[in-house]
Amino acid sequence: MSGKTLPDHFFRREYGKLIAVLSRRFGGYQIEAIEDAVQNALVKSIEQWTYQELPENPSAWLFTVAKNNLLNELRNQSSRTALIEQHSLEINQGSELNQNLEPSYFLSQEINDDLLNLLFVGCDKSLPLESQIVFTLRILCGFSIDEIAERLFISKQNTYKRLQRAKNKLRNTISANIELSFEEKTERLSTVVKVLYLMFTEGYFSSHADFTIRQELCEEALRLGEILANNKLGQKPEPYALLALINLHFARLPARQDHGGGLLLLEEQDRTKWRAEFVQTGLFWLSKSATGEKFTRYHAEAGIAAEYCLASSYSTIRWDKVVENYQLLERFNPSPLHFLNRIIATAEWKGAKHALAILEEFEAPTWLKSTYMWKAVLADLYLRSEQIAGQHIQAAIEAAPSERIRALLKKRLKVDNE
Amino acid sequence: MSQQKYLCIQRSQGGQCEPPSPAQMEQMFAKFNAWKEKFKDNILDMGGKLEPSGAVVKSDSVIDGPFVEVKEIIGGYMLIQANNIEQAMQVVKESPGVAMPGSSVEIRPIAMP
Repeated sequence: MSGKTLPDHFFRREYGKLIAVLSRRFGGYQIEAIEDAVQNALVKSIEQWTYQELPENPSAWLFTVAKNNLLNELRNQSSRTALIEQHSLEINQGSELNQNLEPSYFLSQEINDDLLNLLFVGCDKSLPLESQIVFTLRILCGFSIDEIAERLFISKQNTYKRLQRAKNKLRNTISANIELSFEEKTERLSTVVKVLYLMFTEGYFSSHADFTIRQELCEEALRLGEILANNKLGQKPEPYALLALINLHFARLPARQDHGGGLLLLEEQDRTKWRAEFVQTGLFWLSKSATGEKFTRYHAEAGIAAEYCLASSYSTIRWDKVVENYQLLERFNPSPLHFLNRIIATAEWKGAKHALAILEEFEAPTWLKSTYMWKAVLADLYLRSEQIAGQHIQAAIEAAPSERIRALLKKRLKVDNE
Repeated sequence: MSQQKYLCIQRSQGGQCEPPSPAQMEQMFAKFNAWKEKFKDNILDMGGKLEPSGAVVKSDSVIDGPFVEVKEIIGGYMLIQANNIEQAMQVVKESPGVAMPGSSVEIRPIAMP
C-alpha cells in the first residue's frame, strides 16, 4: 500500500480549481455542463482511488477526466462543433489517463490566476451580496447546496435561488470569454474583499454549535484571501488589512468557547490556546497594510484585534488604542454596533461612569434601544458603576436571542443560574 | 496454519441516488483509507468496481449487458483472508462500502482442497 495521501480538503478545493480552469477554457455559458463534468470526475476518482493506488498527479488525473467528460457532453450538443474543434488536439492528448498531462500547468501560478478570475467574476456588484457569497462558496470552495444552507442558516431553496441568480448572470453577460481585464478586476477588488470578509465573519461569529463547520468558513476565507494577496491584483492595503484581521481573529478562535460549546468572554479566554503562528502572520499583514494611503474598516478591525493579541493579559490591553480604532471604524463604517463596542472599551479605559455618561447622551433610535446589545451594555455599565442595575439586567437577559448568548450575559452580569 | 480466503461480493441497489458532495467524498475517502490500513493484513486484493456492461455466456446462448435492470446489481468484488467467518464478517462490517444505503456484501469462503 502506498503511503501517499491527499492534501486536506482535496476534493472540495479541486472542485473550485477545475471549474475555474475549465470555465476559462470553455466559457462561462457552459457552467452547468462544466459542473456536471467535474462532479462526475470526482465520483470516478473516488471509485478508482479506493481500489487502486493514487495516480502520480491526482490533480492532473482529475483534470483529464473532467475535460474528457465535458468534451463528450459537448459532442452531444451539435452546435458546439467549433468549440470541440478548438480543443480536439487536447482530446487526443488527453485520452491516455495517467499520462501526465501538462504537469507544469498544475504547478504554475496560472491555476491560481484562473481561480482568482472566477472569484472576481462572481463578485459582481450588480448581483445581491448574498448571491455573490453563495456563488463563491459553491463554485470556488466546493460546498454543496445543503452544506451552504446549513452554514449560512438559510433554506435550501433560498440557497439554490441565490446560486441560480449568479449563474444566470454568468451565462448571460459574459458568454464565451470569462476573463476579466485587469481594470475590471481592480474595480471589483473592494467587492471581493467584502465577500471574503463576510465569509469569514459568517464562520467566526456563527452560532453554529459545530466548531469544525465554523472553522471551515474561516479557513476558506483565509485561503482565498492569501491567493488574492499573492497576486499582483491583490497587492493593496485593503486585502492586506483583511488578511491581518482574519489571522488575528482566527488565532483566538479555539479559545472562544468552553468545552460545552459555550461562549467565553475575552477576559476568560485561555491565552495559551491562542495560536501564535496566526498572530505573527496577522501582524505581518498588518504592517504591510499600513503602507498605502487607503484606510479601510478592515484596518481598524485588524488594529483592534492586534491590541487584544499583543497584550500579555486582559489587564494590560491598551484600551485607549482600542477606543481610537473603534472611533475610526465608526467613521469609515458607521454602525451602532461599533459605537456600543467603543462604549465598552471606554468603560475599561476611563471607567464605567464615564462610559455611561456618553451612552446616555447618545440619541439612540428606538430600534437600537430595543436590541439585546444595547440593553446588555446598559446593564453592564449600571452594574459596574455600582448603581441599581436590577431591571436593566433583567431586560437584557429577556432580550437575548439565543440560549448561548443568554448564558454569556448571565455570566457577564453576574446572575446566578437558578 | 494458513488463513481461509473469502470472496466478497458487493451489491447495491440500482438507480440514481444523490451524488455525494466533495466534502462528503473527502470523508468517504478518509474512512476507506483508514479501513484499508486497519485491515491491511486481511485484504488480499482490493478487487475493483464492476462496470454494468459485459456478457453472460452459456453453452447455447450469450446474454449481453448492461445488467442495470436487475434490482440488485453487483457493484464490486474483493478478496480477503481471515481466521474464520466471524473475523471476515468483522472486516466487512467495518468497511465503508457496506455502510452505503441499499448496499450489502456477500462473503463466501473459497473452498480449499
